[in-house]
Amino acid sequence: MALLEVKNLTVEFGSEDKPFRAVDNVSYSVDRGEVLGIVGESGSGKSVSSLAVMGLIDFPGRVTADSLTFDGQDLLTMSPRKRRAITGKEIGMIFQDPMSALNPCFTVEAQIMEALKVHEGGSKKERRERTLDLLNQVGIPDAKSRMTAYPHQLSGGMSQRIVIAMAIACNPRLLIADEPTTALDVTIQAQIIDLLLKLQDDSDMGLILITHDLALVSEAADRIQVMYAGQLFESGPADSIFAAPRHPYTQALLEALPERSAGHDRLRTIPGVVPGQHDRPVGCLLAPRCRYANDHCIKARPDVSDYKGRDVRCFYPLDDHGIPTGQPADQTTGGMA
Amino acid sequence: MLGFLLRRLGDIIPTFFGVTILVFFLIRLIPGDPILMMAGERGVDAVRYAELKAQYGFDQPIIVQYFNYLLGVFQGDLGKSFVTKRPVFDEFMTLFPATVELSLMGILFAVCIGLPLGVIAAIKRGTIIDHLTMSISLTGYSMPIFWWALLLIMFFSTTLGWTPVSGRLSVFYYIEPTTGFMLIDTLLSGEKGAFTSALSHLVLPTIALGTIPMAVIARMTRSSMLEVLGEEYIRVARAKGLAPIRVVMVHALRNALIPVITVIGLQVGVLLAGAILTETIFSWPGIGKWIVEALNRRDYPTIQGGILMIAFLVMSVNLIVDLLYGVINPRIRHKR
Amino acid sequence: MSDNITPSAASEGALQAIEPMAAPPSPMRETWNYFKTNRGALAGLIVIVIILFLAATAQWVAPYDPIAQDRTAFLKPPIWMEGADPRYFLGTDAVGRDILSRLIHGAQLSVSIGVFVVILSMISGIVLGMVAGYFRGWVEVAIMRLIDIMLALPSLILALGIVAILGPGLKNAMLAIAIVQLPHYVRLARASVVGELNKEYVIASQIAGAGHMRQMFINILPNCMAPLIVQGTLGVSSAILDAAALGFLGLGAQPPLPEWGTMLAEAREFVGSAWWVITFPGLCILVTVLAFNLMGDGLRDALDPKMKR
Repeated sequence: MALLEVKNLTVEFGSEDKPFRAVDNVSYSVDRGEVLGIVGESGSGKSVSSLAVMGLIDFPGRVTADSLTFDGQDLLTMSPRKRRAITGKEIGMIFQDPMSALNPCFTVEAQIMEALKVHEGGSKKERRERTLDLLNQVGIPDAKSRMTAYPHQLSGGMSQRIVIAMAIACNPRLLIADEPTTALDVTIQAQIIDLLLKLQDDSDMGLILITHDLALVSEAADRIQVMYAGQLFESGPADSIFAAPRHPYTQALLEALPERSAGHDRLRTIPGVVPGQHDRPVGCLLAPRCRYANDHCIKARPDVSDYKGRDVRCFYPLDDHGIPTGQPADQTTGGMA
Repeated sequence: MLGFLLRRLGDIIPTFFGVTILVFFLIRLIPGDPILMMAGERGVDAVRYAELKAQYGFDQPIIVQYFNYLLGVFQGDLGKSFVTKRPVFDEFMTLFPATVELSLMGILFAVCIGLPLGVIAAIKRGTIIDHLTMSISLTGYSMPIFWWALLLIMFFSTTLGWTPVSGRLSVFYYIEPTTGFMLIDTLLSGEKGAFTSALSHLVLPTIALGTIPMAVIARMTRSSMLEVLGEEYIRVARAKGLAPIRVVMVHALRNALIPVITVIGLQVGVLLAGAILTETIFSWPGIGKWIVEALNRRDYPTIQGGILMIAFLVMSVNLIVDLLYGVINPRIRHKR
Repeated sequence: MSDNITPSAASEGALQAIEPMAAPPSPMRETWNYFKTNRGALAGLIVIVIILFLAATAQWVAPYDPIAQDRTAFLKPPIWMEGADPRYFLGTDAVGRDILSRLIHGAQLSVSIGVFVVILSMISGIVLGMVAGYFRGWVEVAIMRLIDIMLALPSLILALGIVAILGPGLKNAMLAIAIVQLPHYVRLARASVVGELNKEYVIASQIAGAGHMRQMFINILPNCMAPLIVQGTLGVSSAILDAAALGFLGLGAQPPLPEWGTMLAEAREFVGSAWWVITFPGLCILVTVLAFNLMGDGLRDALDPKMKR
């Protein structure tokens, strides 16, 4: 059994009669020792789905799912108290902006020890020693003197290491990292990812790496999940997705990578933006931006189906040469060139 | 922290000198001769007039007079009351504890009611509880407290007979002032029932005085809390698996309190102004009532000294609040 | 003058066609659209309109002369109480004056106090603040230091001090309150000017040769008005409250003027016997102050672009 099983997770905001679906029937699973990469542009619902897993979606947001289990326990039906015993202990989470993720009023030490106190108890001395270990583990130089520092005295990279230390304090079995490097300098980004992968490898954690950076997951992830406007567009093993994307969106994302633009004058981009609450198309959500879209795509919404062992949400999944299959050739309207 | 303190002192000291100039000229601006005023209705003859003029230094140039006045202020000499002929400073010090006692109770009331109201309104944002709390708060904020005090007396004292109408203590007790704080003195005296009597005398003035600060604190707490609850670190705290109550009371409140502390500090001015009205209505023997009486009797040295002391108080409290702000907000503490 | 536009069926049709993509609403309109969604603010506005109406028509609306004494009806309760005099709806006070009439005339007094104080205080505050913010240097230091000194004193105490110099009375109380309110406007005006001073349009018109006066009052001032308008609305409520407090202490309006605070001062001794002489004047103060505060809050939300959406 997988560590985390998510089946048809849906998160809705707004009024009951006219809801906005931030996450739309998304399913995935993560195993022990596995790295799952969730990729998508901003607004694709990837952060919201992980917040739902953590139980951090507040009223007026509504979370529904066919099943949401962690290690066989149903997260949706358990009491809030029991669920809190899992969040923070069994599942840790790292957030996007380390500079605002730390409480400005408390020292580094206090914020890490707090998680330990709630979940593991122990004496203050033990907790302090464990905190020092953690800081060393996440590679904070001169950890002892940083213990009593306040967040405003730390750099962004340093703060993110603290946030990581906080998330792994109770040896979680699953770690969710939501854009852990976006807010950091480029030079620091690789260090943080390396640290995360090392920690994951050392303790055989499951790791969900949420990012808009395809290059990043290509190196780190075992499996990849491509999301768009709250929907799952494609999922499968990382190497096979990179070798042969089955969804036009994945293809476009890959083509937008700098290294794949070699030989072109300029970086290729995907025109337009992810549809928001008010401008969702009737048909396929990608239709207005898809280069292969035809009338059918504009009118009807595709479901997820299995294509060559991959989950793909497209009427005309791509073959090994990147050509849409089963599409009547003359109907293309050509969303992008 | 030391730099911060010095910078604040650098702001305050010139302001204090400014206030001394202001109150010094207060007396000169009043139409009429101060000596004649001091002498009262009986009047003085020319010889006595010259004597008095020399005695009070009115014959010297105005600048010299100001510096003499300033010198006196630094030695705690605020002049003598026209009416009682006692030193203004001594009178102030006798009456001051009564006002402090009332103000402390008022601010205690305001914080104890206003802070929870604001927190609850913020947590229950948009619900009926929020609307109700904010309506109460805005009404309290708009309340003419002299009328509010009369309503309280009308309801609790004359109709229900629960609380006394005025004063600090029932006439059946006589307590020798040791600290000047009636609650403490009555406890020390060991007289049966004296403490209860002092407490029951305090209830209505406390509510009347504390209502406006309560409303202000509730409003400020709510908006500050709402802002903080939207911060990322609140989400992080919840992701640690902390109980909601701990997230609100420790992580959110600590940050939300930073601006609220400033507002509480600013309420000291409001309290002292409110004390003037409240003390007058409840015949509370404090500096508020003292100043109003001085105004009615045109006892200018008392008015002058009273205003100076109040300004000094307000500035000192604001300074203390600023320092407290540094204690609670590490970003300020470490700034050089 | 060739195309004389007359309302015709054709032009109406054209208007309708244009409407869906009409220009964004004017700032005034937008503010109003936002303001009217705030129920509290709207309620405040309605109450203010009623009070203004009563104040303007007090001479005709009030059933009796506010200072005429009826020696046959002392301390008569409101008409729904036992022992009431049917001629006096809200009863009479200790010297037989109709409370309703006094309250209506009191509205006139309170509104004039509020408006006069705010206008006086706002104009002088804006001038001082703009001068401080525009010229900077020692002028600014001097003005702002004076403001700091004024702010070191609680407003009511400062007002008492000024009344002590000027002597009691309604006019002096108004003047004192206007002076007390000054710091708010000075600070706001200065802060706005300092904020606007480095904007392109100010520099552009300086290059075009605009003089100091034109810069300050024609170019910069209109762009700083929003917070000043909000402060002005809230200023009316605190002026009314402070004036009533001074009246209550016997330092503001003097009897027999039907100022609400003064009425309360006269009624104080009946706290145990005649609830109506105490309740109604205070209620009037509370409702008026509350209305201005509600409207001020609503205006602040409507005028603050950050709060929109």
